[in-house]
Amino acid sequence: MPAIIVDRLSKSFDYYKKEAGLSHSFRNLFYRKPLRKDAVTEISFRVEEAEMVGFLGPNGAGKTTTLKMLTGILHPTAGEASVLGYVPWERRKAFKKQFAIVMGQKSQLWWDLPANESLMLNKCIYEIEDRSFGRIVGELSELLDVRDLLSVQVRRLSLGERMKLELIAALLHEPKVLFLDEPTIGLDLLSQRKIREFLKTLNRERRTTVLLTSHNMNDIVDLCKRTVIINGGKVIYDGDLAKVNGWLDQRKIVRVSLAEPVERRRLEAYGIVRSVEDVEAVLEVEKTFVKEQAKRILDDLPVVDFTIEDVSIEEGIAQLYRNGGEENESAPEIRQDVRHGVYALDGVPD
Amino acid sequence: MVPWLKEGRRYLRIYLFFLKNSVISMMEYRINFLFGILIEIGYLAIKFSYVYVIYRIGVSVNGLTPDEILLFVGAFTIMAGLYSMLFHSNFYMLPEHVRTGTLDLMMTKPVSLQFMATLRSIQIGYAVPNVIGGTAMVVWGWREAGVPATFGNVSLFVLYLLIGLLMTYAVFLAPQLIAFWTVKTNGINEASNALFDFNQMPMAIYSKWIQRVGTFFIPVFLITNLSPLSVLGRLTSWQLAWGLVAPVVFLALVRWIWTAAVRNYASASS
Repeated sequence: MPAIIVDRLSKSFDYYKKEAGLSHSFRNLFYRKPLRKDAVTEISFRVEEAEMVGFLGPNGAGKTTTLKMLTGILHPTAGEASVLGYVPWERRKAFKKQFAIVMGQKSQLWWDLPANESLMLNKCIYEIEDRSFGRIVGELSELLDVRDLLSVQVRRLSLGERMKLELIAALLHEPKVLFLDEPTIGLDLLSQRKIREFLKTLNRERRTTVLLTSHNMNDIVDLCKRTVIINGGKVIYDGDLAKVNGWLDQRKIVRVSLAEPVERRRLEAYGIVRSVEDVEAVLEVEKTFVKEQAKRILDDLPVVDFTIEDVSIEEGIAQLYRNGGEENESAPEIRQDVRHGVYALDGVPD
Repeated sequence: MVPWLKEGRRYLRIYLFFLKNSVISMMEYRINFLFGILIEIGYLAIKFSYVYVIYRIGVSVNGLTPDEILLFVGAFTIMAGLYSMLFHSNFYMLPEHVRTGTLDLMMTKPVSLQFMATLRSIQIGYAVPNVIGGTAMVVWGWREAGVPATFGNVSLFVLYLLIGLLMTYAVFLAPQLIAFWTVKTNGINEASNALFDFNQMPMAIYSKWIQRVGTFFIPVFLITNLSPLSVLGRLTSWQLAWGLVAPVVFLALVRWIWTAAVRNYASASS
């Protein structure tokens, strides 16, 4: 039986618009035109037990809203969901004892206290036996390398250190399902890697089901075989991350460093020119012709350096965002980026 | 063990953790703590000055002598201490939890959200001056007014103080819950704090109409008037009955509003 079943889940919020300026604010004081935003529209997907699924989408796509419904924080407007056989928003105690959520931008640790005081409180809240408490804290703090930090006040910790302790606090009761919302946001590369390693171990050894949202593509690529991508509140892709590229997979990227600048028009003879900057050029070439074109480039042009790459997963995702997000506010920005050949997603290193 | 007893013990243990964590947090900021106490002592001095005026003028309210009035002021002062210790900072923070979305994580814990959100911070330090000062007033007034210090009387006084505490929780939490709809509640805050101060003096100084509103509709007068009235033998039978029923009614009411409020919770943006 799947650990998570989401069936045509929808959530809309009421809000109102306010133009900039004092006069609009004044008008707003008396009259507010109610508007409705569909944050999530009839999304459906399933996550099997012990599966680790990436949940992607541009800002405002409805990822966090979905996570909040699956953890019972929000009531949906329509649709159904079940997590471990429970309806999340009924907020049953038995359900709450079996899942955990970690949000990169929110903390459950008491700010002025050492983390171990917060852990003790959670021990009491989740009714964890003394012996298993000692064992779990020992194991987790060992894995995350934070044993010495347990007795330091949380406010004196770095963001990365705090995040690791947040994870321990969330995993004390050995949840079967773990929801992670941007767990590596703002962390340095070393901390990111450590947390990813930790999550892998957790998933492998404890068979914890993980649903992970992140703008950090490294998280997703490294951890999740399968990805669900939503945009404009709808599921636009559900499948193997490696296949996310679709038609982009039929193309290759050729990067060329030249001894001297070459006119753009000359380069266009070999493929679609993505960018030319001084002596650096990036071309897009159809996979079937890549060998032939590479040979021509090497023969015809003053090439200093030359690489052939696959189209990156980020690019495939950006393409999906673009196609699937017609109703989404952040889609135009991405569209513009694509036109300029720069496929920048938040937090993704170019 | 009986399930509810087990659950009760769990909540008590969690509450003790709240207490412990609050005390540790409080001691982290020594200067802030010191100033907090100084301000509380200042407020206490103001209350003492009222008492001084009453004695000086020898005013009598509806037949209450200054010594008897002191029982009311004392009960009010104790309650002000308990309110600031147990509830005030929690209620004050509630709209903030709604605005910033910190309520989210609390919601996922397997304990009552209302318990977690409205009782987790205990500001024991701020209560000390008021509770000591208030108790001193009560003891002084009690003796001077010639109220017999029997076990029954003392129990009655404490019982109605506890009822008053429950009423304080219900009456002052309710307005904060509006935050679930409006997010900010500063205006309401001011108004409800002003309401609490209606108990500075015995309710008898207000007109009959205000007394009725303050007893049945927004029952602020039930918070500190019943204790002194009971030991002075001035509690009418309907006051006695309503004093016992009202906490049940208003706690149920606030629970009902809470449930509706949480259903309406929209969380904050990530």
